[in-house]
Amino acid sequence: MSEFTIHHHVSELMTLLGHNMIIAKDFFHIIIRVRSSDPIGEEVYTEKLLKSRTPYVTTQVSSSHAKRNIAQATKTPIEFLAKYDELKEKNVRELDPLLCFLSKLSEEEETKEFLSKHGLDIAEKERMTLMPHSKITSQLPAPGTKMTEEELSEIKDILLKQANVVENPSSDFLVKVMREKTLTRNVNIPQQPEWLFKRSYLTMDFIPGEDSLPNSGIVALGKMSVFEQEQAVMEDILLCMRGLESRYIVSRPLPESYAPREFLFDQSLDPSVQELVKRILPVCSNYSAVVMFIEEKSSFEYGLVNHALSQAMETLIKDYLVMVAQLEQQMSLGQLTLQKMCFYLQPTIRILEILASVANSINRAIIYFNYFFYLFQGKCIGGAVLSLLHEKTASLIGDSKSSELCLYLTQTACVPYMEILEKWIYRGIIMDPYSEFLVEENATINKEKLQEDYNDAYWEKHYSVFQERIPVFLEQVADKILNTGKYLNVVRQCGRDVKCPFAEELVYTVKERRYYDQIERAYSYASQLLLTLLMEEKELLARLKSIKHYFLLDKGDFIVQFMDMTEVEMKQHIDDILPSRLESLLELALRTSTANVDPFKDDLRVDLLPFDLTSQLLQILAIDSKKEKGKYLIDPTDIRLSGLESFSFDYVVKWPTSLVLSRKALTRYQILFRHLFYCKHVERQLCNVWIGNKQTKMYALSSSRWYSAAFALRQRMLNFVQNFEYYMMFEVIEPNWHTFQQNMARVSNVDDVLAFHCDFLDSCLKDCMLTSTELLRIVHKLLVVCVTFSNYVQRVNQTTTVENEMERLRDSTLQSTMSNRERREDLQKKKTATKVMSEYVGQVLVDENFEQTIATFDNNFSRHLLELLDKIMDENKTTYEHKLFNIIYRLDFNGFYTEKLEAISAERALKDHSFVSDSSSHTNSSSGSMPTSFTTQRPDGARYVPGQYKGRKGSATGLDK
Amino acid sequence: MPREIITLQLGQCGNQIGMEFWKQLCAEHGISPEGILEEYATEGTDRKDVFFYQADDEHYIPRSVLLDLEPRVINAIMNSPYANLYNPENVYLSKHGGGAGNNWASGYCQAEKLYDDIFDIIDREADGSDSLEGFVVCHSIAGGTGSGMGSYILEKLNDRFPKKLIQTYSVFPNVDEISDVVVQPYNSLLTLKRLTQNADCVVVLDNTALNRIAADRLHIDTPTFAQVNQLVSTVMATSTTTLRYPGYMNNDLIGLIASLIPTPRLHFLMTGYTPLTTDSQVANVRKTTVLDVMRRLLQPKNMMVSTPVQRQGNNHCYISILNIIQGEVDPTQVHKSLQRIRERKLAQFIPWGPASIQVALSRKSPYVQTAHRVSGLMLANHTNISQLFDRILNQYDKLRNRKAFIEQFMKEAIFKDSLDEFDNSRESLQQLIDEYNAATKPDYLTWGSQQAAAL
Repeated sequence: MSEFTIHHHVSELMTLLGHNMIIAKDFFHIIIRVRSSDPIGEEVYTEKLLKSRTPYVTTQVSSSHAKRNIAQATKTPIEFLAKYDELKEKNVRELDPLLCFLSKLSEEEETKEFLSKHGLDIAEKERMTLMPHSKITSQLPAPGTKMTEEELSEIKDILLKQANVVENPSSDFLVKVMREKTLTRNVNIPQQPEWLFKRSYLTMDFIPGEDSLPNSGIVALGKMSVFEQEQAVMEDILLCMRGLESRYIVSRPLPESYAPREFLFDQSLDPSVQELVKRILPVCSNYSAVVMFIEEKSSFEYGLVNHALSQAMETLIKDYLVMVAQLEQQMSLGQLTLQKMCFYLQPTIRILEILASVANSINRAIIYFNYFFYLFQGKCIGGAVLSLLHEKTASLIGDSKSSELCLYLTQTACVPYMEILEKWIYRGIIMDPYSEFLVEENATINKEKLQEDYNDAYWEKHYSVFQERIPVFLEQVADKILNTGKYLNVVRQCGRDVKCPFAEELVYTVKERRYYDQIERAYSYASQLLLTLLMEEKELLARLKSIKHYFLLDKGDFIVQFMDMTEVEMKQHIDDILPSRLESLLELALRTSTANVDPFKDDLRVDLLPFDLTSQLLQILAIDSKKEKGKYLIDPTDIRLSGLESFSFDYVVKWPTSLVLSRKALTRYQILFRHLFYCKHVERQLCNVWIGNKQTKMYALSSSRWYSAAFALRQRMLNFVQNFEYYMMFEVIEPNWHTFQQNMARVSNVDDVLAFHCDFLDSCLKDCMLTSTELLRIVHKLLVVCVTFSNYVQRVNQTTTVENEMERLRDSTLQSTMSNRERREDLQKKKTATKVMSEYVGQVLVDENFEQTIATFDNNFSRHLLELLDKIMDENKTTYEHKLFNIIYRLDFNGFYTEKLEAISAERALKDHSFVSDSSSHTNSSSGSMPTSFTTQRPDGARYVPGQYKGRKGSATGLDK
Repeated sequence: MPREIITLQLGQCGNQIGMEFWKQLCAEHGISPEGILEEYATEGTDRKDVFFYQADDEHYIPRSVLLDLEPRVINAIMNSPYANLYNPENVYLSKHGGGAGNNWASGYCQAEKLYDDIFDIIDREADGSDSLEGFVVCHSIAGGTGSGMGSYILEKLNDRFPKKLIQTYSVFPNVDEISDVVVQPYNSLLTLKRLTQNADCVVVLDNTALNRIAADRLHIDTPTFAQVNQLVSTVMATSTTTLRYPGYMNNDLIGLIASLIPTPRLHFLMTGYTPLTTDSQVANVRKTTVLDVMRRLLQPKNMMVSTPVQRQGNNHCYISILNIIQGEVDPTQVHKSLQRIRERKLAQFIPWGPASIQVALSRKSPYVQTAHRVSGLMLANHTNISQLFDRILNQYDKLRNRKAFIEQFMKEAIFKDSLDEFDNSRESLQQLIDEYNAATKPDYLTWGSQQAAAL
């Protein structure tokens, strides 16, 4: 699970906490704190979540259980329950998961403690006294009354103001973000023309603010006969049904927006007529609600889905108006009675009722979306509308007529959404002017950064799913939808048009099966398309193989050749190196080695980095583990980097391949390369020492004795370096590559490719000990000791051979003119010269304290090597990671080091032992007596078999004997 | 700019095995006997330029120098299909063509006279390569030309190219049959001194063992020269396979031999190869796994040296081992095999330093079909090789004590004044044997100073 998704979940939780604000006032103060919290809180939360992440499967049972739990925990259980029921009615999404979360929260003391403590901390820090929550509570409407949007925003304002008072930078930020957010949301929404608001008569609804017609000339109904009353009222009702004011039935102004319209009528009406009127009046009220809905949602900002829904409703309303006209005609013919009218209206009542309830629930639904953990309230648009419609349709499943109606509404409303979806999953384009679609493009993250930024997350972040925009019926396939479009988009970015062969029209149905199948098909097509593009057209595998040649030193001859040619350059200081020269040498090495047949060789570049591998790695590792932060900050001025230390290959990656070979992946390759490259360099140096030493075999025995210690040490170093390389190459990289290739053979989509590639690199890094600071440092020290040793020996060699050369030079000048006879003499001379030389060498060596220096090198090397072996054993004991253990088998194949290792572990056991038993006096002495040189004869001791190495306990008992 | 290697073929034996070696290389790289790349081999990812260079007309020409004092073998080569492969300038035949008469001293002194001619050729070859890594010398130590001229050239090569590696493939005489060369022990002793002091790495090819292997393992009653030489060429070709088919490691000669030879004098390597086949016998396919191959390589009967490498009993032990495994190998198998060998203690190692079986994985030539999935070559530095020298020393002492055949040598310039050269060489060989014996003991590293103190 990536960090990103965790953060996403946290933000989700924060959103839920936002709901919480309304439900349980007991948590009110917590939210304020969390909302004004700085990143630390979030981090701790993330950690906590990582620890106890259990998927909430909310069933009716669990939610009711949770409800009870919270009710018990709160001080005002009745209020809470009332609020809950109300919210339940309002169909607020994710209520049940929230409930579960809250109940968990109330059970978990730790979290509560953290939350309150955290809040207090902040309060203290900012010398802010929280507004007593009673004060806010008092401003909340009494439980039971419906909360309007205005009220909510009012509360929000209060909170904001309070946050602003303490000048919390984050709240400033919040305000800014809010502003930005509103800006971005409005950007592509055109303005409504002004006249639309000025001309109030344009509405089909009742006109607000207009007083009822002047009473003059209106005869009280009671004074008429029942027939007349009926006729008059019928006329009025017909008016009302079209949203017009009438004489006897007057609409009351709405107490709040979206409240159901109520009507007043003359109470003197005959009771029997009154009953009938009361039955018909809801039609008028629903008509009003629906018309109002249509008019409001038709404006631009409500988005395509609302527009489509309004349009669907409008067609229904048109039918309705036709019917009203027919009724009127009947009436004018005198054939209509109120009874008849009631009868005719029967089906219409139901229809309008459903329409109105749909309109109502959409109007009332409160949609929260979050942005940087701050809550925003939004209009119910896009996916949320569809969710509501879907639920409505599903709930009416028994009533065939109404469900048909609902289905009609939903299908019509879905059309624009499905069109967007089709464009996305069939062609990879987003055409979403009102930000309704569940996927959104983040244009600030562009693909060019893939090649540049280490932290760039193009693949993850360029397109993202907005949870609140997903219609419920697409929730299960949301990820698939995201990926489908993403894949197609990549193909489009390569400059070719995509057309899915299975592009059928997506139609909403109550049962998901059909469009799920379609989405599935589109998904498999898209993933296949992109995969073929990458694998076959862009030859991803061949490219990776080529990268392996260079970065993982698979083509050894090329590396040898390159090192040969750049030997001089690499020794220089980084500032003195001409990159262009290195470039041309690289070019030459590529052309003249077996790398020449590689078609991708021209993409290889050289790169000189301003830091050496160890410091880079330590820094990276320090980021990973916060506790070691600041420990390895290296002053960049005090290191003088040689070309070798700063050298690395780089690789030019073009667009679709850069998805896989992003900067992040390349950096990992570079790290591996630099490590291997340095090892190769050390090996070469030691081999050079070998060549330098080879002359000594002509010297007499007496002089070579000075060398034997050096020979032995060189051999041990070479043994270490070569076996280390063997281990990394044949036991780490090659098997991992093998598995990687096997995985790639049966890969089905690009996400898998990315994951496998990442796995490959990660396991290589890990097994090459590049992820453990401790091991890394020891290995680095070991290599440094090897290099300094070889430098030293080569310098000594040079001083001795210079003499030798001069002698030779003198000889050779004579040689040309020499006869055979003289040549013989010359031979004799040379023999004596060799003898003299060997004595001289012995002399030099004595003078320079050669033996002692070598012994020091020996000590250093042995100490570090044993430390390394010991650490690996230790590591192995704790992690049971067997791969790393293999290197011990290699480095210590003939059991040469085992005895010393045993000594170390015994010592440690002794140390532990001495710690347990009171005295600490042992520790000093034991740490001083690290086993060191191997040139001395080994003492006879108990043989140690690695298999028996079980741990401290075992060695401790061995010690007791 | 590869790390080139120049091959010198000296004398009858050297030219014969050299010939086989080039045949093998040509087959593996898909080069026709005329030196033209076969059509199927144009796309190869192998390195031909380590051992070959391209002439103006795209012919591949071996970096090889053919030297002999008598024309028989070289004429045979020049009449074979491979006649046009070699650069004719690199073939040098002594003008009087009388040979060295199996006399080391004669070969040595003739070489001395021909110094300028020989080194003209060698210098030209060396100048023609960008970063010469070293020389490979093929010769026998028993005859006259290979041993005598070989000795002289070794000395001079060391002088002229002190930083270049000198590897030799030296054929040791068969002790099982009575040789027609009676002065064989003299020749061997004198050559061994040069091999000790002037070569960096000597791959010992023991005719005794080669014949034995041909008889026992390949079931050939009377192995011909060609059959034995094919064994030799297999070993030579395989030991250079990591140079020609580059992989992760061992892509230069120095990397190959540096780890094998911890101290400069102990540079005599044994070889073993499995599974062994000849042309006539391709059947008899066995299952070959990495463990199988590595285990069989440690068996004495597969060693191409006639001193039995015993697993237990004496103190002799491996100083180092390098296995070159060819074929399709799952790298995880290598580790398992190593672990198994370690657990079973199949190989005894030196007590004075870390030592291990290094395994170099290498590709096979795609153009040469073999019945085996995996094959392996072992290059081992084993202290037991001193027994071989011991045998030569004994034979020498027997002859020397009787002063047999010594007058042949006295005729030549080098022995005109004294026989010191014999005594020097004997001392040098004795020291080598002592050093090998000392290497079996834990205190080997202080042995040199002990010796010096004793003197």
